[in-house]
Amino acid sequence: MTRRSVQVRRVLELAAEEAGLLGHRYVGPEHVVLGVLRDGTGGAARVLRGRGVDLEAARAALRRLAERGVVPGPRPSDAELLGTLGIDLDAVRRNAEQAFGAQALGRAIGEATRARRGGVGRVPRTPLRGPPVFWVQATYHAEVQAKALGREQVGSELLLLGVVVDAQTPWPRCMSNRWNRRLRASVGLPDGYQGVAGPLLGALGVDLDELRGALLAEFQQAVR
Amino acid sequence: MGETASSEVTRVAAATSSQDPEVGLAAVAALRGLVEVLEAVQVQNARGKGWSWQAIAARLGVTKQAVHKKYAGRRFGFGRERG
Repeated sequence: MTRRSVQVRRVLELAAEEAGLLGHRYVGPEHVVLGVLRDGTGGAARVLRGRGVDLEAARAALRRLAERGVVPGPRPSDAELLGTLGIDLDAVRRNAEQAFGAQALGRAIGEATRARRGGVGRVPRTPLRGPPVFWVQATYHAEVQAKALGREQVGSELLLLGVVVDAQTPWPRCMSNRWNRRLRASVGLPDGYQGVAGPLLGALGVDLDELRGALLAEFQQAVR
Repeated sequence: MGETASSEVTRVAAATSSQDPEVGLAAVAALRGLVEVLEAVQVQNARGKGWSWQAIAARLGVTKQAVHKKYAGRRFGFGRERG
């Protein structure tokens, strides 16, 4: 079982924040790249900076991808959408948590969004839970790399390496079942979306294979 | 959320009235996401208090088969009298 370093957890939090800043209602591997740059510390950010990539440039590149329709443009948040109906999302969450407790609410969220064979009246996501994350493949590849290198912990270099491997690997077929397609459509993603970290890094003039090598080198150096 | 983007998004939301299907439909979808969770938490609570499926279904205005199909099962504490 590999663990995530404090820095990796922070990078993933920052990735969610960067997604929110762009008005994206999901968090994908492309936002993890922004999170690494925003964090700024550690080997992964150093490697990216060494290739002339900074946070502003990456944000601008992702905005251009949004303009081309590769990823969705800014969309109103669930809180704002419910606000147009006169519903205060925070108040609903607060009241439900007070009445039933956070644990019961969490169970209900799981129950309401659980994919089921019978599929009766389920929703792909709910405003009561944060935006869906699509960097799971990237962290999976990062863990595989960590294991291959005999490491217990995934640091930022391995996380970014996972993002690169993810960008070079097609997603498994289970990621494009009907349920997941519905989930992606609900946040405005095009049908064939498999993360756009590759196109993003490409637009920034970074060669994926070269970056992969550089990250491994950086990692070996950090170990020593 | 930072100031720059929140203003960007608010502008989008303000510029498009809810007559715009893009916003109106998304708002309804968000509302449905809310309703499903609130229904689940209420059904869970009612079952925990020993209510029958029939009584729950009557209050929700659906058949007892419908609510049973949707929520029955031993997972997530939906059964009567736990522990």
